[in-house]
Amino acid sequence: MTGTAEERAGAPGAAAAQGGAAEWAVRGPLPGTPGAAPGSGMMVSVRDFSFSIGPKRILEHVDFAIPQGAYLSILGPNGAGKSTLLKSLLRLHEKGTVEGEVEIGGRSIGLYTQKELARLVSYVPQAGGWIPPFTIGELAKLSRFPYATSVSALTRRDIEAVDAALEKTDLVHMADRPLKTLSGGERQKAFLAAALAQGSPVMLLDEPASFLDPHHTSELERLLISLNRDEGLTMLAVTHDLNHPVKSGGYALVLKRGRTAYFGPVEGLMGGGVLEGAFSHEFTYLRHPVDGRPVILAE
Amino acid sequence: MKFSPGFKVAAIIAGSLAVTAASPFFGLSIISPSDIFLPDHPDAEVFWRLRAPRACAAFLAGAGLSLSGMVFQAFFRNPLATPFTLGVSSGASFGASVYFYIGGTLFIRLGGVGPLFASLAGAGLSMSLVWTITRVKGGFSTVIMLLAGVVINFFFSSLVLFVQYLSDSHDSLRIMHWLMGSLAGLETARLADLAFVILAGLVVIRLMASEIDLLTAGEELAASRGVRVGVAKLKIFLAASIMVGSVVSLAGPIGFVGLMVPHACRLTLGWSHRLLIPAVFFAGGCFLVLCDLASRVILAPAEIPIGIVTSMLGGPFFLWTLFRSQKTGDLF
Repeated sequence: MTGTAEERAGAPGAAAAQGGAAEWAVRGPLPGTPGAAPGSGMMVSVRDFSFSIGPKRILEHVDFAIPQGAYLSILGPNGAGKSTLLKSLLRLHEKGTVEGEVEIGGRSIGLYTQKELARLVSYVPQAGGWIPPFTIGELAKLSRFPYATSVSALTRRDIEAVDAALEKTDLVHMADRPLKTLSGGERQKAFLAAALAQGSPVMLLDEPASFLDPHHTSELERLLISLNRDEGLTMLAVTHDLNHPVKSGGYALVLKRGRTAYFGPVEGLMGGGVLEGAFSHEFTYLRHPVDGRPVILAE
Repeated sequence: MKFSPGFKVAAIIAGSLAVTAASPFFGLSIISPSDIFLPDHPDAEVFWRLRAPRACAAFLAGAGLSLSGMVFQAFFRNPLATPFTLGVSSGASFGASVYFYIGGTLFIRLGGVGPLFASLAGAGLSMSLVWTITRVKGGFSTVIMLLAGVVINFFFSSLVLFVQYLSDSHDSLRIMHWLMGSLAGLETARLADLAFVILAGLVVIRLMASEIDLLTAGEELAASRGVRVGVAKLKIFLAASIMVGSVVSLAGPIGFVGLMVPHACRLTLGWSHRLLIPAVFFAGGCFLVLCDLASRVILAPAEIPIGIVTSMLGGPFFLWTLFRSQKTGDLF
């Protein structure tokens, strides 16, 4: 792939090829959000970004940029640096050396306070990790922390945001259920509801559907895609499911050994050896017999 | 019948205050409420000069130890994390032991606040060591911090024994008696110091209730919700350690309070710290007041060190928590 990330993302071909995502690229900012970067029109922009811990380079010269309302699927083999990239966008690394520039909402993330960054970016952790000892409702309420002062209780606006998030994820009737009593799929929906309650225009998801059965995976994917299309959320999702980007549309970023192997419209993944080069594996590209969308099969 | 969490907290506060207020009337002899306002009545002297300050001290010490335990458990997401397992208590004990030793041999006198400063210095030293090891070895890894705490605990416990070994028989006995934990002979003047530290700690922890909740949910999640994780951890750890240091300096290392009270409150109220903090503060205070009462009456007129009473209750409770935690998956 040649050219800068901005050129690639902004190229007429790229916008047209991404289907639905192009529509979101021209939308104005969500009410009460900082909006896209001035000039570039990019909501998330990563330029020549490298991250290393000691002598070990985990990410090298990663470049991409996506407009507001876009859906970016981040793919790559194990150890390629996908989760590290996601965490770097949230400044979650205590240790390590960072080079390059990451901008969200038109400003370098280093210029935001932690609360300002949280008002801009929410995060859904990987499934199968630590289960917090809270109910669904409590977890969603905690997500209003970026707007809270030290002594304040939840405001009416906070309650409305929490209620709306639970409604969108169809969890209102389960709000008092502890997370520990939920199935894996329900729990991921609860984390998604909590991230939604945060009210941030950008959402990062770290393998949200891993460990879920096909039914729950499909339900979660539908929810994510509808949030992107209907709510205009900018989404960056790390996934191992190569067919997820096909369903979500938008952009794909493929990492290999910490470097950008591909960035561009999802359609660019089909053929051309992109996936084969990244995963060192053969793939077959078919058409779905019912709806005709592309399907990627690993050999 | 199901009570709301708010009602439960109010009931805990009211019950704890009632028990604490009633406790000075009981002991070797029962004091009639009508006698305590009679001038020159011997029971009034006993009530106001001995029992009431002691009940206040027990309340503040219990509240401080319980709040610290609650914070450490939330912090480490482990129901067995206490000021003891993290080495803070043994660091404070070491500081106080050194003070007793040096004070006895070199005639250094800092007055009544000497043990307080020495304990705070010891708690600070152990905390700094645990913090440094954790930072160097694992970023802010909870597991590393807990393991470092266990190692530091053993290290300072050995140093306390070493100081005791070096001391003459008088100081050695003093250290041994102090190590058992006791509220007997507490100077009333030190009560104000303790009250200041514990109430300041309560305010800091209450202001950080949401941060503590989010840290319980996980550090990555907390950071993604706007918590400055490193700063929040340092503030909370400092507040809890200073509370423990001040209690240890006055009453010795009273064990298991920080384990039992927060755990019992969580079983009733869940993990939301906006509710837990007042409940743990008052229930912890009340619990130690009751333990102190038991220590005064069980072998009256002799007095059992309060640390022995809490340990006798805490040992079985610790094991019950361990087995329960393994069943419910609360341990990592």
